[in-house]
Amino acid sequence: MSNSHRPAVASLAGVTKIYGDGDTQVTALADADLSIYPGEILLIEGPSGSGKTTLISILGLLLKPTRGDVYVRGERVTGLPERALPPIRASAFGFVFQGFNLFPALTALENVAIAIRMKDPGNRDADRQARRLLSAVGLDNRLHHRPADLSGGQKQRVAIARALGGDPAIIVGDEPTAALDTKTALGVMALLRSLATDAGRAVVVVTHDPRLERFADRVARVEDGRVVAVDTISQPHAA
Amino acid sequence: MWTLARKILLHDRIKFAVAAAGVSISVMLVLVQIGLYLGFMQNASNLIDHAEADVWVTGEGSENFDFSSPIDDRAFYQVASTPGVARAERLLLAFGQFRLADGGTQGVQVIGLDPGARLLRPWNVVAGDVRRLGQPGAIVTDVSEAPKLKVGRVGERREIFGARAEVVALTSGIRSFTTSPFVWTDLDSARAYTLYPADRFNFVMVEAAPGVAPAEVARRLNALPNLDAYTGPRMSARARHYWSSRTGVGAGFFTTAALGVVVGLVVVGQILYNGTLEHLREYGTLKAMGARNGAIVRVIVYQALISAVVGFALGGGLAIAARGAMVAANLTVLLTPTLVIGTAILTAVMCCAAALLSVVKVLRLDPASVFKG
Repeated sequence: MSNSHRPAVASLAGVTKIYGDGDTQVTALADADLSIYPGEILLIEGPSGSGKTTLISILGLLLKPTRGDVYVRGERVTGLPERALPPIRASAFGFVFQGFNLFPALTALENVAIAIRMKDPGNRDADRQARRLLSAVGLDNRLHHRPADLSGGQKQRVAIARALGGDPAIIVGDEPTAALDTKTALGVMALLRSLATDAGRAVVVVTHDPRLERFADRVARVEDGRVVAVDTISQPHAA
Repeated sequence: MWTLARKILLHDRIKFAVAAAGVSISVMLVLVQIGLYLGFMQNASNLIDHAEADVWVTGEGSENFDFSSPIDDRAFYQVASTPGVARAERLLLAFGQFRLADGGTQGVQVIGLDPGARLLRPWNVVAGDVRRLGQPGAIVTDVSEAPKLKVGRVGERREIFGARAEVVALTSGIRSFTTSPFVWTDLDSARAYTLYPADRFNFVMVEAAPGVAPAEVARRLNALPNLDAYTGPRMSARARHYWSSRTGVGAGFFTTAALGVVVGLVVVGQILYNGTLEHLREYGTLKAMGARNGAIVRVIVYQALISAVVGFALGGGLAIAARGAMVAANLTVLLTPTLVIGTAILTAVMCCAAALLSVVKVLRLDPASVFKG
């Protein structure tokens, strides 16, 4: 998939993140340039401590860069005040984590609906939207199950449905398949692939797992805080 | 949001039970302790509050209603002849020794009334004829004091300091602050029962003339030598204030009630805080996805309010049960509407205050923390 003529949905330009100061200063990310396009899956690979998490945290507006700029849907957001960021995150980003982070007391439907309501307290249609999202990830028959009654793959699907609340343009996954067996992990990636291909969302996934590359359009390799390569996958979208 | 709050709170039922128990113990302590205090204070000013006197006159410097210094008939006539005084009645309130049927004695607080007294009469009369109170040696006691006086019916005869006494009527629910049973009688009999000299008593109760403010009458009476005069409400407040502040009774009750609030604060605060810590990753995820701080804080505050409602209901029930049990011990737990509503508000405030730590934790929660570990 060629990205040369499409506008990026989000991008980092010369982003550097330095933690600490003086002798304890650590450069977690150095001069990173990266663009994310609608409809693609971008994998971010690299060894532990290479700066992957810092990169997606800055991309997801959860962390401010020390230098450089972040653009979301063409708007430079780096200089915005802290209070302006939650609404942008709510409309632009959905997050999926290795540990699912679901409320154990709530059913699948409630976990998704509550995320929708918390983004938009005035939303009276949250339950219906949650039902639709869970249906979209194939969990029609698990709406009223609590996380403890769901398999790992089903939990991650609930988490994906929750991330889709608010219809974000970008899904950010932090090792979303790490806690899953191979078959389930591939199923989750297939779901993310369809979200990218069918709905035109951008999906950014941090992973150590090379098996996931077949689902990706591009792979960014991060080493020692630098984006050392961004490779385009020649024949992606394998199921 | 209420549903989310309730489900998160009730997910671990044991923890919720501990929180509810903490609140309910707190509520019960507050209600019972302050209720007992109010009951004692009601007893402390019982006679004054039920009297129709506009102004009370007593010996100069008398601070304690139950141990007031004696005054004499000359003072009575000075009071009665003061402009603005429509009616004046003498009252003797002193201690005597009641001879029991089994030969023992019981200290009593004797109330001696003028013949034909109108400004203060026994109330809540449940047996006998209170009009016979003017007869020499006629007494009225309270049914709640029967275990102490061993007098259960009208017509029984006893002695007080060797003078004969016959029960002519029984009242219900008239108790003294000092816990010595009240014995109503006429003024002359009262002097005999308390060994008071013939012209002595403790108070003059005054009815103000129509159109004259009680405060003005009190001001005029205060000009008389060796006497102090107070309006009825002021006299009532003085009686309660003396026992409440000068004896430490109030401090004792309120300290226990305050400890109850502290117990509630600590237990609920700890349970809510633990619950918040357990769900920190979930809250962080929601914050990362743009959830507003206010929405998450509302969930925590709702949990606090649910704990408050359940704890208040349980604690209120316990307090009512305790009140019933204390009746047997002749103790009055006065659960007034003001106390109940005030305690309900206090409980809600206490639980919300207990949630503060959790709220601060969530407000300070860095959404980027969801990527850590």
